[in-house]
Amino acid sequence: MSRRFWETDWFGPLMVIVVAVAVVSALNPSFLSPFNIQVLLLAIAVNAMIAFSQMIIIAIGQMNLSVGAIGGLSAIAFAGMMEVWGIPWPIAAILALALGVLAGVANGVLVALTGISAFVITLASLSVYKGVNLGITEAQPFYKIPDVVKGLGNDTFLHPLPWLIIPCVLAALLLWYLLNRLPLGRSILAVGGNEHAAELSGISVRRVVIVAHAISGLLAASAGIMLVGRLQLGQPTIGDDWLILSFAAPVIGGAILSGGHVSVAGTLLGVAIVAIFTQVLVLFNIDPFLVQVVLGVLILWAVGVNRFREVRALKHSAQVAS
Amino acid sequence: MSGTGQEQSVGIPPAEQASGARLATLRILLSNEFGLLVLIVLFAIIFSTISPAFLSKFSLYALGRTSAVNIMIGFSMMVVIITGGLNLSVGSIGVCAAMFGGLLMQAFAMPWPLAVCGGLAMGAALGALNGFIIVRSGLHSFIITLATMSIFFGVMIFLTRAESYRDISPAFTSFGRMKLVGIISPLLLVSALAGVLLSVLFRYTALGREMLATGANERAAELSGIRVNRIITYCHLLSGVLAGVAGLMLVSRTGAAIPSMAGQLGQDWLLPAFLGPVLGGTLLTGGRVSVLGTFLGSFLVTMLTTGLLLMQVGAFWMQTYLGMLLLAAVLIDMVRRSYLTRRKLI
Repeated sequence: MSRRFWETDWFGPLMVIVVAVAVVSALNPSFLSPFNIQVLLLAIAVNAMIAFSQMIIIAIGQMNLSVGAIGGLSAIAFAGMMEVWGIPWPIAAILALALGVLAGVANGVLVALTGISAFVITLASLSVYKGVNLGITEAQPFYKIPDVVKGLGNDTFLHPLPWLIIPCVLAALLLWYLLNRLPLGRSILAVGGNEHAAELSGISVRRVVIVAHAISGLLAASAGIMLVGRLQLGQPTIGDDWLILSFAAPVIGGAILSGGHVSVAGTLLGVAIVAIFTQVLVLFNIDPFLVQVVLGVLILWAVGVNRFREVRALKHSAQVAS
Repeated sequence: MSGTGQEQSVGIPPAEQASGARLATLRILLSNEFGLLVLIVLFAIIFSTISPAFLSKFSLYALGRTSAVNIMIGFSMMVVIITGGLNLSVGSIGVCAAMFGGLLMQAFAMPWPLAVCGGLAMGAALGALNGFIIVRSGLHSFIITLATMSIFFGVMIFLTRAESYRDISPAFTSFGRMKLVGIISPLLLVSALAGVLLSVLFRYTALGREMLATGANERAAELSGIRVNRIITYCHLLSGVLAGVAGLMLVSRTGAAIPSMAGQLGQDWLLPAFLGPVLGGTLLTGGRVSVLGTFLGSFLVTMLTTGLLLMQVGAFWMQTYLGMLLLAAVLIDMVRRSYLTRRKLI
């Protein structure tokens, strides 16, 4: 079972990062300046939450189109509760996280109980959540964000490490522990690998699906709340552009879309690759419009590589068997 | 599948024949198309009693014009759904085709029929590219079209510098603003024509039957000699053309080719694209299609949107209503299907 290190999910993306950092910093030394690293880490911290939120759903072999809508709804709920009701920020954050979990559970219950594909359910819930967001805000942002929240969203606790990196690292460690060490995590991967077999071996597929969607909602909500701090306002448009990124990073990290196989480290590296490439477009004054093209090409490239590895692994195991 | 009821009743005692006829009627009454018609009539009555302006000439004209585009978007998704796949890039392709058409009219001063052909060719090319990548990679269309949605849109924005083409030939825009018999938009006739052509394709041509067979069971289709890969590529190509038609209809209606007309990455088209076919009874797993259902489904959605906007019940909440409608549609469809299966009507 033990794989050589160059066959792991994280090796390929890590090499890409090493080469990219070497090339870019040789061409433009300001790339490795503390300020630039802080900017990169801020982007990675939020985007990693978004990617994890999708990753946990990919693990059960489904997809969640509503990550952005849940994140946006939690973000404006967080900002709105502070501005309109004057709720202190830690309580508002907890309530907004609870809202995210609730939205995720609603997705999970609908998928698990009806057996309708997660694609359709989350497409519907995406527009329900986004509509509620627009209905509450009427497309106007909430501006009154406490200074503490603004500070946490932008400042560093240890130069150049921003505060926002803490929840991100925490989430990564917990997810790794969940997927690799806890029975629930193994159940999640088992359901993604083969739902029928998982059911037959005594796993409650429904429960696992609902829990995975709840975790996804929680992570999406955290990303939304973190963005409120970083942008220093409760934008109703938060989450509108998460969809592509949320799939790009896990897929670059070796996740298999049919389920059962995801990598926390790979996903983190995927987020880092996207952040570095985006940064490069800015640093070298290349058109920022091209970010979308780069993301799309990265997805195609990554699924191609994953497919190649899958086919080779199949051939390899066939040879071993014969 | 329809008509099997009558065939079975041949040579069966009259009593059972009567019950067979009743079953056939029941089947029609429980069909998606009939249900949609009832809903359309019902909501038309509700809206016109609450707000008489709903039945005004202009309101009916605007409804037809808007629904024409939504119907086309629904068709564009439908032709891919029947293969059991999806096309998330419909919006992106639609905008690319519209922008290309606009470019040909403005920068190259082409006559509008040529420019429209150019736009449609762009749609076809992008659709075919989707199909090619999906077939060659063997990956699910979801992730491929998710990536190409981003790529197509990104390249389009990069090349156009996010600027609109406003120098559209007047003959073309007057087509989108024309009124036939006072209330009918020619755009609706284009959608109806497309619907008829698609019905003929799926009902009477070998290609259409092969598309459905591929969707119903890809492996079985392959074993019975259908070139599955080619069929899937054709479906995506057709989807690209139909998305292009929808995009160009919007250009003709608004008089400009605007990069943001389908929202960020063309995402705004996704919901109407799925609502029409799903309401209309097209199976998401592929193999079954209802062109009339998609037509009526998209029309119903547009009517609900227009009616609710007219009644001024919170334009900002519109997306919530549409999402709930999609949810309700799939739930009702599930209940209906299980009822029909239990009564052995399917």
